[in-house]
Amino acid sequence: MRDRLSEAIKSHDVEFVDIRIEDKTNSWVNFRGPDLDTIGSARTVGGIVRALWKGGWGYATFNDIDDLPRRVKEACETAKLVGRDKTYFAPTEPVVDSIKASMVKDFRNVPLAEKKALMEEYNRIMLGYHEKIQTASVRYADTFKTVWYANSDGTYIEEEKPDVNIIVIATGRDGDIVQNGFEMGGGPEGYQTIENFHENARTAAKRAVELLSAPPVRGGTYSVITDHEMTGVFTHEAFGHLSESDFVYENPQMQEIMVLGKRFGSDGLNIVDNGALDGGLGTHKYDYEGVPTRKNYLIKDGVLVGRLHSRETAAKMNEQLTGNARAVHFQHPPLVRMTNTYIEGGSAKLEDMIKDIKLGVYALKEVGGQTAMEMFTFSAGYGYMIRDGQIAELVRDVVLTGNVFDTLKNIDMIGDDVGFTPNGPGGCGKGSQHPLRVGLGGPHIRIQNCVVGGQQ
Amino acid sequence: MIVQQIIEKAMQKAQGAQATLLTQETSSVDFENDRLKSAESSQRTQINVKVIVDGKVGNSSTTDPRDVDGVVNRALEAAEFGSPAHFELPDPQQLQEVKTFDPALLPLQKPEMIHLGQKMMDMIKAYNPEILAGAGVNKEIYRFEYANSKGASYSAEHTGFNIGAGGQLTRGTDILFAGHGVGQKKRQVDEEDIATRAIEYFRMAEKIVPVDSGEMPVIFTPGGLIALLLSLGLAVDGKNVYLGASPLRDKLGQQIADPRLSIVDDPFIEFGPNTSAFDNEGVARKVTPLIEKGVLKNFIYDLDTAGRVQTHPTGHGTTRQLTNLVIAPGETRYEDMLRGIENGLLVHEFLGLGQGNPINGEFSVNIFLGYKIEHGKVVGRVKDVMLAGNAFDAIKNIAAISQEREWISGPFAWFNGLFPYVQIGKLSVTAK
Repeated sequence: MRDRLSEAIKSHDVEFVDIRIEDKTNSWVNFRGPDLDTIGSARTVGGIVRALWKGGWGYATFNDIDDLPRRVKEACETAKLVGRDKTYFAPTEPVVDSIKASMVKDFRNVPLAEKKALMEEYNRIMLGYHEKIQTASVRYADTFKTVWYANSDGTYIEEEKPDVNIIVIATGRDGDIVQNGFEMGGGPEGYQTIENFHENARTAAKRAVELLSAPPVRGGTYSVITDHEMTGVFTHEAFGHLSESDFVYENPQMQEIMVLGKRFGSDGLNIVDNGALDGGLGTHKYDYEGVPTRKNYLIKDGVLVGRLHSRETAAKMNEQLTGNARAVHFQHPPLVRMTNTYIEGGSAKLEDMIKDIKLGVYALKEVGGQTAMEMFTFSAGYGYMIRDGQIAELVRDVVLTGNVFDTLKNIDMIGDDVGFTPNGPGGCGKGSQHPLRVGLGGPHIRIQNCVVGGQQ
Repeated sequence: MIVQQIIEKAMQKAQGAQATLLTQETSSVDFENDRLKSAESSQRTQINVKVIVDGKVGNSSTTDPRDVDGVVNRALEAAEFGSPAHFELPDPQQLQEVKTFDPALLPLQKPEMIHLGQKMMDMIKAYNPEILAGAGVNKEIYRFEYANSKGASYSAEHTGFNIGAGGQLTRGTDILFAGHGVGQKKRQVDEEDIATRAIEYFRMAEKIVPVDSGEMPVIFTPGGLIALLLSLGLAVDGKNVYLGASPLRDKLGQQIADPRLSIVDDPFIEFGPNTSAFDNEGVARKVTPLIEKGVLKNFIYDLDTAGRVQTHPTGHGTTRQLTNLVIAPGETRYEDMLRGIENGLLVHEFLGLGQGNPINGEFSVNIFLGYKIEHGKVVGRVKDVMLAGNAFDAIKNIAAISQEREWISGPFAWFNGLFPYVQIGKLSVTAK
């Protein structure tokens, strides 16, 4: 493959060219209700050529990888149609590397029949848990992807990326009320990560049943404590996206808002994006422009100290490369994306955070989040009211919303217990690229004056 | 033909087989931050195979047309452990004639697409040079083939044209995004109208105005209607009905909405965004009324779920995806609808939609783009405001439906369709 790629790149007549080829095999087993829903496997091969000319990009994406020189030519011609200005593109040392997958138990050696039997066990546990469990679903997916990357700087990287993930969802019903409980798991380390999920299936079913009798949280402004998953989604959604320099590099007003050295939170607040984190879901050795990943502080001691870059945004803003150019798959060019984003641990204990709250909400287990720059919203799987310093009744429909700048300043306690969200089928979406694997995490944090949606 | 080869190969071991082939060429241009940023050419091939062996189903897919043996073998392997087939593959059917291919799109090349994008950008910049403008134009040509072992064999040529413009306006720490776009199968488009609508969303947002928490009348724009349609779409999905998860599962033939509300799924609209004559299971598409004068008329079934509940598939493919939704116009002029509101909201886009428990109808969303109505007029944009309610309650509580309708379509639309403005009596609003 190396020869094919370098041969194709040779023919270019622009300022920079790179090629990324992917070969992916995946299989899935889905149960919905008592029956197997679908089972199957697929193979996807394809690639993308990017060409850069006078600040403009030309892309060619394709499934047919036979005629790479033609795709390079197509991308170069397109770039010349677009480029009209000056190119900004940071240099980086060329690398040649090969990254092999290392799985404890390789899911490719597990027969489909065995995968199906195991998922059926999980499904039965949920369905049989309680008479109010209306239905359940189990979604298992594994993917083995090989990515070849080469560019006109002389970089050549070959990388194997395994991933296995599972989500179990139990649906409870009581009259017109329907509630879900879910658990996720898996990881790049192999099939064993999803082998002992029986207890998780029980937990999902138990929560679905309990939520049936939980009232919806009343809308209002509360002291809110978030668990590590909710802290992670908040950090990612509310702050992380603002740190992606493609929102900033050509936008003078955004540069004013996100000026380095500006205070965003209290002294104890440290926010990190770390693509080199050991075992993170967003971990890569290199990004999709051949730049090595690393630990990047975004906020240190409450002050903005960094942001995430591609080679283009780093050059334009005259800042260091961070290794954050990522893409979901070959049909897309890389964008500036987060890797593993988290708040670093502080010193507070959870019980100390709770004890002086008169009326508050403890929000757990992220369901999802969305951001529009400074506005964000994210949902919890469930929550508890906090009353007079004690964790009180279970509540459902907990949605937190707010303005990131206010909210970061309103974090008044940071826990000492950093944790990460487990693997699962989801990921981060940006533009049309979804889902991208990202790591989310942090400790318990306490946010004052946080808006919780809901009927009053 | 590849699909026929696959069927023949599969039928050596299977008792039923179907194959689909998609071949697609796309070109697009993209403007970001006031400048032409990139352009793209893309080629796509996708082959999907379904086999039935000893009454069990297996699926597989590939992007490689030379991988016929591989894709068939993987499907056969999956079928060994597959789910029981609750259906038979459909016999050849008579298809409706539909317009899905516009030859006028064939000669459209990137320079002209750049020109279209630039024109919309220039209009937005002329309205307010502070807006960082963006635009996108995308053209696609694709062919879709279907064949099965019952002798059904169809193919269709499609064109597609997506065009949109918008921008970002930053004032202090306030960041406003707005835009408008259309997606359709024909070349003819009014790019000035797209830019004008995008500008109108900025114009109405020139001032930011406060809102008090409480209950108030809310007008959903045609785009904003998604907040209500999302739950309805999930609840009419036959799979959710079969699994007992849909709150509408036993309400067929019952009044579930205001009698002025009629919604029909129409796959035959000329050059509509999702127009086509057959689905990816070889089922002929047809017009499906969902709600007629407030009465629930149909659920959406694919072959599998239709087989499980012993009814007929509705021609919405394996994912039971709605095609072109059409909501009947009302009797109220939009202007009069506004005029009748003393204190309320006009809502267009949301953050956090689909989180929580949408199939129950419950929503609790941040108003990403919405406006305050005072004394019958839009007075400015609202911020940091949550809107909460239940979609199924809301459609019973419709105050008015507008005569005017607008196409909501394009790559970022949740549902494509022709929608009016809909005013709901009262909804709960939480402001910070």
